[in-house]
Amino acid sequence: MNWIAVVIAGLATWASRVSFIVLGDRVSLPPIAESALRYVGPAAFAAISIPIVLGGDAFANFDDDVPRIIAASLACFVVWKSRNIPLSLVTGMGTLWLLIWVL
Amino acid sequence: MDLGFDRRAALDGINAIWPLMIPGIPVGLVVGLLVTERGVPSFLGYSTSWVIFAGSSQLAAVELIADNASALVIILTVFFINARHIIYSAALRERFSIYPTWVRVMAPYLLTDQQFAVAETVPELVDPTPRYRLWHFLGAGIFMWSVWQLSVIAGILVGDFVRDEWQLIFTVPILFLGLMILSIKNQAGVAAAIVGGTTALLGRDLPSGSGLLLAIFVGMAVGALFEQRMEASA
Repeated sequence: MNWIAVVIAGLATWASRVSFIVLGDRVSLPPIAESALRYVGPAAFAAISIPIVLGGDAFANFDDDVPRIIAASLACFVVWKSRNIPLSLVTGMGTLWLLIWVL
Repeated sequence: MDLGFDRRAALDGINAIWPLMIPGIPVGLVVGLLVTERGVPSFLGYSTSWVIFAGSSQLAAVELIADNASALVIILTVFFINARHIIYSAALRERFSIYPTWVRVMAPYLLTDQQFAVAETVPELVDPTPRYRLWHFLGAGIFMWSVWQLSVIAGILVGDFVRDEWQLIFTVPILFLGLMILSIKNQAGVAAAIVGGTTALLGRDLPSGSGLLLAIFVGMAVGALFEQRMEASA
């Protein structure tokens, strides 16, 4: 039963990924939807990250908020100025470790 | 259309995705660790990685299997958590419309958050031909896929060598905060991010990832409305 569930869940996930791409230009969306699709990036990436920083989530429960918020803010500033993701990862984790060690 | 292997494109794709893939490693280890800890059969637990291939939904699936949830609950939960890929698919459909149907059916298997982020944040590809674009996507996707498989397997085999106090999972929000900033191109993008992030925070206890989905929709809608207002006042 579990195998069947995993396989169908996998097919459903693949179907989600394929859905609009396979339809291609056979579908035309209303202008407001086209406009909304330009904001998937900011909306989705914020929705994935913010609750983990401010609320903890399925991945991990952090018991102290302050070092994480400071580390995340600093990482945001770095990526905003440098447009460099690896640098923001190093900054964020370095700050977090330093704060945990100091506090 | 010539879509034969393009080595340079594949390497450029790998180069674009590797920084985004780093946080995937601790998450993959956590998925593997959960499989062992919750006593889920190793091959079944691992197989979520190639059958489903989406981290947070795999964590949910493994938890549900361990709790003896019904097949219907497992399927619906995974589907809801992964439903945001429908939106990614819609956003990418024009880029893929030039390809033959078999490409449009097969390639999206590799479409993850990071893969979408590469498409959104890599400004202009060196070479805009369909062949280069396809192999850029496949190079990035196959690399990401391989690292994910190895991470989950490592988590199953060697488990808790990732020590909690290192908090490596924290690379996940740092990555996605960075992608959020890189994907903001105007004030409407700022509004979409603020509203999307706030909605997700408020809705984080809603079942089966529906808070995340709701947050993406609300954020997108606010972005679109803001854009209309900017155009009206311009």
